[in-house]
Amino acid sequence: MDETLVILIVLSLCLGAACWLVFIWAVKKGQFEDVEKPKHRMLDDD
Amino acid sequence: MSAQTESTCGHCGISFRWKAIESPTDDGRCVRFCCRGCQGAWQLICGAGLESFYQRGDRQSPTVAESLLQTVYNEADLARRLVAEGDLCRLDILVAGITCPSCVWLLERIIAGIPGVEHVSLSYSGGIASLRFDPRLVAPLEIFHVISRLGYTPRPFSPEQSDLDARRERDDLLIRFGTALFLTMQLMAYSYALYAGYFQGMAAGMKQFLQYVSLAVTTPVVFYSGWPFLSGAWRSLKTRAPGMDLLIAVGSLSAWIYSLWALFAGLETYFESAAMIVTFVLIGRLLELSVRRRAMSGISALYASAPRRATATGEGGVRQVDVDSVRPGDLLLVRQGECFPVDCLVVEGETEVDQSLATGESLPVLLQVGDQVRSGCINVAAPVTVQALRPAGQSYLMRVASLVRMAQAGKPHLQLLADRVSGWFVPAVILLALMVGFGRFLLAGEGAGAAVMTALAVILIACPCAMGLAVPAAVLAACSRAASLGIILRSGDVIERLSTIRIALLDKTGTVTKGHPRVVGIKACGGYSEAELIQAAATLEQPAAHPLAGAIVRHAADQGVLPENCREFRNIPGLGVSGFLPDGRSVLCGSELFLSENGVVPEELSEADNAAATAVMVAIDGRVAGRYLLVDGVRNGAVEMVAGLAAARVEVRLLSGDHQSTVERIAEEIGVATAYGGLTPDQKLAYVSSLQGQGRQVLMAGDGINDAPALAAATVSCSLTGSSDIALENADVIITGDDLSGIVTAWRISRATVRIIKQNLAWAFMYNLIGIPIAMSGHLTPVYAAVAMTASSLLVSLNSLRLMRLK
Repeated sequence: MDETLVILIVLSLCLGAACWLVFIWAVKKGQFEDVEKPKHRMLDDD
Repeated sequence: MSAQTESTCGHCGISFRWKAIESPTDDGRCVRFCCRGCQGAWQLICGAGLESFYQRGDRQSPTVAESLLQTVYNEADLARRLVAEGDLCRLDILVAGITCPSCVWLLERIIAGIPGVEHVSLSYSGGIASLRFDPRLVAPLEIFHVISRLGYTPRPFSPEQSDLDARRERDDLLIRFGTALFLTMQLMAYSYALYAGYFQGMAAGMKQFLQYVSLAVTTPVVFYSGWPFLSGAWRSLKTRAPGMDLLIAVGSLSAWIYSLWALFAGLETYFESAAMIVTFVLIGRLLELSVRRRAMSGISALYASAPRRATATGEGGVRQVDVDSVRPGDLLLVRQGECFPVDCLVVEGETEVDQSLATGESLPVLLQVGDQVRSGCINVAAPVTVQALRPAGQSYLMRVASLVRMAQAGKPHLQLLADRVSGWFVPAVILLALMVGFGRFLLAGEGAGAAVMTALAVILIACPCAMGLAVPAAVLAACSRAASLGIILRSGDVIERLSTIRIALLDKTGTVTKGHPRVVGIKACGGYSEAELIQAAATLEQPAAHPLAGAIVRHAADQGVLPENCREFRNIPGLGVSGFLPDGRSVLCGSELFLSENGVVPEELSEADNAAATAVMVAIDGRVAGRYLLVDGVRNGAVEMVAGLAAARVEVRLLSGDHQSTVERIAEEIGVATAYGGLTPDQKLAYVSSLQGQGRQVLMAGDGINDAPALAAATVSCSLTGSSDIALENADVIITGDDLSGIVTAWRISRATVRIIKQNLAWAFMYNLIGIPIAMSGHLTPVYAAVAMTASSLLVSLNSLRLMRLK
């Protein structure tokens, strides 16, 4: 049982780390730069 | 002109009466355009298959001035700004003229359609297009031409250092916060397991394992995510100015150190407290930053509207130069559709300018040789050559922008109170926390863990930042809001003074009235012909700055009379001018009072048929030679202003150097009960002082031409643009634009700001007064304390932001 827990904890840490890397990438890429335009975009026909 | 019927331009949508340029469409119809530029834009758009642009409801396309198509951009300058990315190049372009989401839609599609452009994205809020393109397929210059053919003005964009710093700061904070959030979420899972283990029992090995994992995820949160607090705390220790950061750092560090010790001692750990404190406070910091960014956006807009390039003409031919390198006296060419880069004087050509940015005046104003124009105005009609008057750094726009900046940094009296309190607040809280902790441990005999937690809660709940933010946040928001409504407040201090105003004094000429009087009647007497009278008056009034003088000179010019050189010119403010004609005759021009003071026997002239008209008497060689009658329209919003101030129980009085009956007519027109005419500048000053002697707070609005002393003496002085530069430099409140109701708006903003500041301060004091005792009682865990503290400073920030929505 103990092993299961250890494996799960390590697994969740890996998952968290993956999300964290995606987040860092997004910030560096400027995904949070402009929050004004995207909300108008859905009104475009194409 | 009138022979042409009215047409509507198929691109920009303006109505015009001149000969239309026509283009056939595919389905055999004919589209009319106001100019070749618009036709070109239409062809470009339709050629790209984007006709649906014209069906968009929110469309506002700019008129495309034809000369704009020939605008030369400096290729070398553009090349310097390219950033190489492998085979591709990146370029940021600031696109001026974006007014609606449709503009963004159109530009993105048109630019993306240029062969060689790999990617383009335009930010609506900043108007900045970032594009990546293949320099082998397309030159940056071509992209610029396409944008300008659509009627937008592209400029190479090099963000200000401050913008870059702000961006880096935000990204940095975002990453620290994101990291803290992910790790804290992991940590909570282990903590819940440990809580469960505490109540139900847990194998010692498992417990120790979970505690080690907790330590592993908490350490980066405290030392990486919490680094801004740690370094801030260290700085504040070095400068002996304890602040908010110190409390956070002490709180999170002591929780971490205690837990580390407890881990090896085999006791319960509190790692989650350390991590949560940092995470919650970081949320607060991020929100605060975006509040600040929003509040600063008004100023950024002012800076952004200043052109960064100018076109120099002169010996070296026409070339593009950096605005900063323009020196006073340089000749510049300003084409149609361009912005005047610096304050300048027109030396060649005639055009109309859109001054809406500088003065709020919406109609284009005619500009002729010899006229001055402020930076930021847009040339709408024809190219003109201008001479720079001031370096770019001292231009009107930059002065206004720095005024707003200074205002936001200025401290009202209430701030001093807050500063004094937070100076001893932090050390007091730390001392209190130590006392509570030791007291509970030694005297009440509690466990070390509980005592430490109580002490931590005391440290964390104390929220000096609500106190520190209470005033500046409100002042920042108020100044920005006011600026976007066309009201410049000189300092935070002014807000406080303005809110106490009980009586408003208005100068008539140039303040209540437009300051553009017209000559409506002229009567010569004493044997002088009308032409002689006009010649003498124009000669005398030519060097004077008063609006009435300007009207008399303009009238003379209309009559084809050229003023001569006046000798021994003397200007007696509020009364008139005196001097000698080239042939040696002495002339006096001014009010009846002025003439009689100079020993001229007033002659009975027929009573003015229009009582609202201002009379200017002219005497030549000590005898009355004639009289001018001038009228001046009342400014927009004058009636609304008087009504608005009356509703706010602020009394309005009219002061003027003009004739009593004229002043009374105007007063009646705008609904003012008390009006005083025939006042000299000194009498105005004396009147202001006597009101202040009665303990009344006086607002004085004037144009600074003959009421400068009264303006300086008043509790709050107010000037409208169009006033003399002296008045603008010294006024506490500047209303840009033509509308007098701005005074009421300024007053309302000041009242609302003072109210918000008081609310903020009351909240900050109350919160600490209630929160700290609760924390001392030991009923609060440190995590809740951190949440409460963050919520408190957020509440203050958001409350201040309400000012941004004032109308």
